[in-house]
Amino acid sequence: MKKQHRAMINLFYVPAIILFVVFVVYPFLQGIRLSFTNWNGYSQTMKYVGLKNYIRLFQDANVKTALINTLIYGIMSTVIQNILGLAYALFLNINFKGRTVVRTIIYMPVMIAPLIMGYIMYFFFQYDGGAINDILIALGMEPADLLVNSGAAIAIIVIVNSIQFVGVAMVIYLAGLQNIPAMYYEAAMLDGATFWDRFKHVTLPLLMPAISSSTILNLIGGLKLFDLIMALTSGGPGFSTHSLSTLVTNQYFSAQSAGYASAIGIVSFLLIMVISNVVTGYFDKKEVDTQ
Amino acid sequence: MKNKKAFGIWKYLLALIIIVLHFVPIYMVIAITFKSPYDHSSRWIFPGYVYLKNIQTALERGGMLMALKNTVIISAVAILFIVVIGAMAAYPLARNKSRMNHLVRGFIMGVMMIPPLSILVPLYSFMAKIGGINSYWGIIITLVTFQLPTSIFLFSSFISSIPVALEEAAAIDGCGPFQTFFRIIMPQLKPVTASVIIITGVNCWNNYQFALYLLQSPKIKTVTLAIASFFSADASNVNGAAAAAFLGILPLILVFLFLQKYFIQGMVDSAIK
Amino acid sequence: MMKKLAAIAFAGVMAVSMIGCSQAPAEPNTDSTENGTDSSSVAGGGEQKEAASSTGVTLEFLYNLNGEAVSDAIQEVCRQFTEETGIGVEAVMPGSNFSDIMKTRMASNQLPDVWTTHGWAVARYAEYLEPLNDFSFASHIAPSIEGQITDENGVLYTLPIDMDLTGIIYNANVLEEAGVNADDIQTWTDFEDACDKVKAIGKTPIQMGGKDSYTLGNMMDYVAPTLITNENEANQNALLDGSFDWDNWNIVVDKINQWNQNNYFNVDAVTADFMTGISALASEQAAFMFTSASGITETYVQNPDTEMGFIPMPAREDGLQRSLMTGEHFAVGMSNTTKYPEEAKMFLEFLAREDICAFLATKCGMPSGLDNVTSDTGRLAPFYDKYANDAAILNIPYFDRKYLPSGMWNDLCITGGTILSGQADAKTTVVNQMRTSYEEKKAQE
Repeated sequence: MKKQHRAMINLFYVPAIILFVVFVVYPFLQGIRLSFTNWNGYSQTMKYVGLKNYIRLFQDANVKTALINTLIYGIMSTVIQNILGLAYALFLNINFKGRTVVRTIIYMPVMIAPLIMGYIMYFFFQYDGGAINDILIALGMEPADLLVNSGAAIAIIVIVNSIQFVGVAMVIYLAGLQNIPAMYYEAAMLDGATFWDRFKHVTLPLLMPAISSSTILNLIGGLKLFDLIMALTSGGPGFSTHSLSTLVTNQYFSAQSAGYASAIGIVSFLLIMVISNVVTGYFDKKEVDTQ
Repeated sequence: MKNKKAFGIWKYLLALIIIVLHFVPIYMVIAITFKSPYDHSSRWIFPGYVYLKNIQTALERGGMLMALKNTVIISAVAILFIVVIGAMAAYPLARNKSRMNHLVRGFIMGVMMIPPLSILVPLYSFMAKIGGINSYWGIIITLVTFQLPTSIFLFSSFISSIPVALEEAAAIDGCGPFQTFFRIIMPQLKPVTASVIIITGVNCWNNYQFALYLLQSPKIKTVTLAIASFFSADASNVNGAAAAAFLGILPLILVFLFLQKYFIQGMVDSAIK
Repeated sequence: MMKKLAAIAFAGVMAVSMIGCSQAPAEPNTDSTENGTDSSSVAGGGEQKEAASSTGVTLEFLYNLNGEAVSDAIQEVCRQFTEETGIGVEAVMPGSNFSDIMKTRMASNQLPDVWTTHGWAVARYAEYLEPLNDFSFASHIAPSIEGQITDENGVLYTLPIDMDLTGIIYNANVLEEAGVNADDIQTWTDFEDACDKVKAIGKTPIQMGGKDSYTLGNMMDYVAPTLITNENEANQNALLDGSFDWDNWNIVVDKINQWNQNNYFNVDAVTADFMTGISALASEQAAFMFTSASGITETYVQNPDTEMGFIPMPAREDGLQRSLMTGEHFAVGMSNTTKYPEEAKMFLEFLAREDICAFLATKCGMPSGLDNVTSDTGRLAPFYDKYANDAAILNIPYFDRKYLPSGMWNDLCITGGTILSGQADAKTTVVNQMRTSYEEKKAQE
């Protein structure tokens, strides 16, 4: 292609870049500025306090809890969604009657707003009249207060998030699987490869691009998890189920430490960015290796 | 042969288990929607009678009709821009493999990772200054901006898989870059556009955090806001809230059923390369 | 396509047939005219007058009062105002994010023309509110609320349509069944005896809805003043001047922790929501709840046949006074930067008009905040009559609003949850968090 043509098509970036700069970069820079102040989130006055918010952040036990939880939400959701999504894709890649129905139903929950999903799930896990406890009672067991234990609550949040969005991973893997030429499998069959051999030496390597996109997508989604936590536990009891993003809300509005909340927001952005870059870098290397 | 038949049954059993697992939340919304608030039977049990008052409550008290209308307008216009601006930005990203493009890609990824709340107040202040609060265009512009990265990535991986030959031929024929893009590239994007519409459309339809702050007038409420206020304000009316949720989810599911064939195909074609 | 739909429908039918269906229940007759006031005509009968022609001005009015009856009443009053003056009012209830939305709007200096100040007229909103001292109602503010809606210079910031008089609400039938006389509860020890008796009949002594974390904050807010500040000036001053020794807070934590260990709370105290609590009281399964009298109104909506009441906060020991908290409930202020100052002013004067104010306060079931207006508090009237003029009862402001720096309400809510979740190091965690947050915020003042 002509050099001039190549330079010209860069003009196609312009509308998108304008939107990003005006509605993301500019507010984000304002957010960085706020993170150096003691602003309470609503007053017209604020004072610059230097790095105080950042220093406080590294000493704050609640930030530590939220950080650990964020990593659990992000990593565990990614693992579950990828394994389950790949399993679903392999299963639905088999030709059988009704598989499109199964596929449709797996994808359906993706269309429910996470906040609404959280409210619906509260109907399940609630102690008084919750759907899970109805089953426990019907089986003659004691009803359980599932969300009071922070470990159980975190597990529930991870599982609900994973089940809701596993459809996305499944679709990505389905697409990946359908792009693997059948002849590879035929060749492997001729060599007498077992199912496991074929999976390990043909399916997995050729799925690398799908694994990579699915992982990154789920990871960002999991690390930014917000609505579901708010609807199920609001971060409680105490600070025990907060993620960094719910903690930002809590500190911004309820605790009226908007400056401090901005600092947490910036740090969580950096964290997501570093993790995603490390993971992307890893997959890029892997994809090059397998080619 | 015997082995195969056994697997046949297992296949359907497995399929059934998966269906139950994923259909349960929607089942529960439906069951609660059509149940009288005075029916204290377990939430698993479907009402054995026809009860439409909750739907009526959601429509009248929750203003779901108005919310549906607003959401349709906002989502439709937003999707249009997400598709056009996204496809445009994806074109150079897919074709120019330069250092600058690497930076642009990183920048767009970065936009995806910003927690919305860390920019909420500055964004709100700015929107207020330019008069974008309680307006269709204010929320539309915000949604477009935040859904663009997804759209750009889907389009760019699809465009990468289109051979360059056609464009080169067009260039030789004297087509400028704009003509090439709109005449040669755009028509080929149909399959992946279905994926973009579904993925970003769902996010626009369901958006809560931005809508909550940018849309405060009841006349411009969106579906998710209407449902959420049902769950919080009239928390005693679980059935009305479920009915609102049902009305909000239903259109999306119907649209998805119609588009899903293209959706899966689009995902296969864009092949996430 | 149709086949798919059919298959999905089939799956649904399968699921139903496996579990079975429920039968249609009988519905209680809820005719709105039964309540005595017909919501379609506000006292005074505005609809007989000719409707004023539209002025083209629409005021934005944000309010945060829940409940259908109150919300309907507010909308009705706004309609009548428009009819009489031709000024439109868009009354919006943004839901549970009300205060977050207000903070965003203050930050951007984009306030609604008129809004409810929910207890924060002076501490939070003063910077943005128009002083109301020149309004005709300024001379009629009820003395018990005046101190909380005026600043130290006597500037009045909000119109108190009604006011809170808050104690602990209870279900009288449950207490009777347990053999407790509510009037005998004078000290926390009496209260604990009552809880033991309620527990003995297999019901929940104290109902909490910790998923809505403000209920946890309420609990701390109710218990703390009786143990720390009531009749203890040293602690009051220390809290205000920043020298408070937070080891004293252990008394509050210990008290609640003790209740928790005695199993006075519902099993799902941390995870249930507020409305579950209201249902528990309405269905006579629980005795007490730390919430304002508006909770009683909610209970009667669910079960009009039960019998509710409220008691003042018990004293920490014999010989000390019981206490009730007073504060804003439905109070309305106007922006000092509104584009329509005249119209907003007319709206406030309209809300303060005797018939309108009485109508709204009655709908809320609260005593009016204006001394020239009497509201019909219905079934709560005996309690207001009993406590309002009882000199033996201390009248105190809300603890956090008076003694804690702004923003610490959040800490009360969160630490309340920590105590009830019963984690091992709860006590030190709670005291440390209160201390750290207090010092942090005091340093910023």
